[in-house]
Amino acid sequence: MEDASRLMERVCARDAAAFEVLYDEYHRLVYGLALRVLSDPGAAEDVTQAVFLKIWDSPELFRGGNFGAWIARVARNRAFDVVRSRAVRGEGDVPDSLPVEDALEDTAIANVDAERVRDAIAQLPREQREPIELGFFGGATQQEIARQTGLPLGTVKTRIRMGLRKLRNALEGVVTV
Amino acid sequence: MISHDELLDNVAAYALGVLPPDEAAAVQRHLQTCEECRAEYNLLRPAVTAVAYSAEACTDAASGGTVASPLLKARIMKQVRAEAARQTRPRVAWPAYLFAAACLALAIITGLQDLSLNDRLSRDRVQAAQQAQMIADMMAPDSKRMPFKHGEVLMRGQRLYIAMHDMPMPPRGKVYQAWTLAKGTKRVAPSLTFMPGSNGMTIVRLPDATTTLAAVAVSIEPEGGSQQPTSKPIAMVAL
Repeated sequence: MEDASRLMERVCARDAAAFEVLYDEYHRLVYGLALRVLSDPGAAEDVTQAVFLKIWDSPELFRGGNFGAWIARVARNRAFDVVRSRAVRGEGDVPDSLPVEDALEDTAIANVDAERVRDAIAQLPREQREPIELGFFGGATQQEIARQTGLPLGTVKTRIRMGLRKLRNALEGVVTV
Repeated sequence: MISHDELLDNVAAYALGVLPPDEAAAVQRHLQTCEECRAEYNLLRPAVTAVAYSAEACTDAASGGTVASPLLKARIMKQVRAEAARQTRPRVAWPAYLFAAACLALAIITGLQDLSLNDRLSRDRVQAAQQAQMIADMMAPDSKRMPFKHGEVLMRGQRLYIAMHDMPMPPRGKVYQAWTLAKGTKRVAPSLTFMPGSNGMTIVRLPDATTTLAAVAVSIEPEGGSQQPTSKPIAMVAL
């Protein structure tokens, strides 16, 4: 596939064919992430549609860097928006204070194989995997994770850090810096 | 006051996106100045991206994965293709830019009839020559054009223009500002500020760059312009 940054330049020039290539390459990531957060295929499709149409409408929002990491952030934020709006409508619970996403440049990650990543995450000790997934997909802040699990906040912080470090090591070769 | 060790502890949570807004803001500020924490962030961030990828929908239904409906793609692409067809109009709209530029040149030439002072005449001759140059550049087949949503960046030789159409008036007290990014640098440099004409169009010639440029951007800034962008760019074009 042509480099995603090049494709985004073509999208800026209103190239629908370049957009379609991006969709084919990244819709599984966007949809999968939204589905994991929302547990609702219909809502996950709505999020996928909103994310890709936003990219088409405002491609300049992507300012370079790693496209996969960027679109994953956009999808996660959008899915949490749905969680919030459901809570406002009384259709679900929302954590007290949803986490915010950082806006720094992403380090490159290359040749991501979702299957390999899933295996690596499955290999993490449960006490490290749970707070990571609870936070990333469940939208819980580290304080809420501590409350939900009954663990001291310091323990939650350490487990998140250790889990991410272990995952990083397990993915050596997949990840490039 | 949070200690450095506490901030370092929070870097992983920040990379994962599980900090409440106030703590995230503190870590973000700290990362701008602390190399140790930035190294930790750079180490961990790809692991977070990997967590996101772990949710990627499987294409293999037999493995229990769920995929988005093909109808979703059809719906999105229908809308995108329709808008792409509408938005290819900037090429058709070029005569409108040219018309605007030509009107300006005509106004200057017409204005000359009422001028008698040599210095004003000389100044306006320069302006008229610049307008003629602009029109020639706009029409030249060898001009490099880089379209964006509301216009194009046009480059011919060292001359660089931003031509925009359908521009809304910025909020009161604000102006459009151009930015340039020199190759090999990460910070944009401020360039001209400008406003749309009454027809929502404008053509701006940027000062000739002294270094090779990598990108041009436009944002909305307070009157008088800014030294660094204070809002997200409405356009960013790689050259």
